[in-house]
Amino acid sequence: MEKNIDQTYNQKFTIPVIRIGRISMFIATLACFVPSIYLAIRYGARPPIGAILAGWGLTAAVYAPFYFIEPISYFPVLGIAGTYMSFLAGEIGNMRLPCAAVAQSVLKVEEGTKKSELVGTLAIAGSVVTSVIAGTLSVFVGSFILNVLPASVLRAFDFVLPAVFGSMFAIKAPKFGVYALALVLILKIFTPLPVFAILPLTVFSTIAFGIFEHKKKNSKGAEK
Amino acid sequence: MKEYLQVANQPMMWLMVLPAIIVVLAQVFFIAKRAFATAEEVEMTKEESRKAFRIGFVSGIGPALSVFIVMVAMIAVLGGPITWLRTVIIGAASTELTAATFGAEAMGVEFGSPEYGITEYANSILAMVLNGSGWLIICGLFTDKLGVIQDKIAGGNTALYGIIGSAAITAAFSFLLSDHLRAGGGSALTAVISGLTMVVIMRICKKYPKLEELSLGIAMVIGMAVSAIVFPQ
Repeated sequence: MEKNIDQTYNQKFTIPVIRIGRISMFIATLACFVPSIYLAIRYGARPPIGAILAGWGLTAAVYAPFYFIEPISYFPVLGIAGTYMSFLAGEIGNMRLPCAAVAQSVLKVEEGTKKSELVGTLAIAGSVVTSVIAGTLSVFVGSFILNVLPASVLRAFDFVLPAVFGSMFAIKAPKFGVYALALVLILKIFTPLPVFAILPLTVFSTIAFGIFEHKKKNSKGAEK
Repeated sequence: MKEYLQVANQPMMWLMVLPAIIVVLAQVFFIAKRAFATAEEVEMTKEESRKAFRIGFVSGIGPALSVFIVMVAMIAVLGGPITWLRTVIIGAASTELTAATFGAEAMGVEFGSPEYGITEYANSILAMVLNGSGWLIICGLFTDKLGVIQDKIAGGNTALYGIIGSAAITAAFSFLLSDHLRAGGGSALTAVISGLTMVVIMRICKKYPKLEELSLGIAMVIGMAVSAIVFPQ
């Protein structure tokens, strides 16, 4: 019976999503080059290939580790569909993760189930729509709005990110929060490790810690 | 206005950016459609599915504010259309501005200086786009393999999947929160107040479940307001 649900779920969701994900990531990559092609044709703005590679190389030297580290580190939370959407639309820490987590907590789904994956997927989808609307509004009326807002409101905007992360940590803290936060702070304050090492180190050691605790609890239960 | 910015803000440039924005929406549309269609297989009602989507939409509003101000700053140097592109497609303001700067440096000029012309601007865009492609291509190629690896680790044990997921998300938020705590002042105060408010809201929600959907927004506003009052500029 269990096997059947897994198969149907794969057929109806996982396999089609992988196809949608691959095609969309590929088309998106190409679509991003359209403005460059236009500038080259219409204005003859064609930087020499050496300069293109140099600009890319300098940037990649900073960010290339994250091409791998971020998808791997966030995958256990985002799942397959969530990973495709999150890494196409970006804003992973400040929008995708919080929106998925709030939806899963409000709908009280059991973590790690297929239902929780679908709830997370739909919440991330909803948050991408918000992102596109917000991004579009900001571009067209952003400067106007900034000019009419009072200084105190603008000051509050400085604290958007700690407000998101503080709230989300509070929801998630009860289980492994003390361990994870202590570890991050120790790594950041006392070690010279770069960010791209600290993120996966924290994620995977917290997972290991969680699995260890779970097994310990289980074996205790078995002894009784 | 600088010459490159006149080109950057041309109506045609908006049109050239549109295809990428459409792909983002199309991807979400097709994936969400699959999720809605699969919901019944896992005993999820139509109402729950719609609620999940709505919560994602509403909860995104608060965090979206973080994008707002930096976008206005980006528009000043990159023009509207490219800012739109780089905000809707993966990329944070800091990443994009770093790439734009390196693109200019690779052309031997300073980003935004009088020598920074259309060709230099084109190189900045290419640095941003090529860098962003890294995430798109890696995820396009390997996301499904990550699923296979996770299945091997958990071995079909649902309890383990749950632990892996919740440990990972706790670690991610700890990581994201840590710098704001270390910054002290208004940032640390906001994180603490918002966190405490969230705990209180979750308690209250047991009586008034309606409130839950707005929990993130409420907790954020209270934390931000307190800090803006305690630490005015």
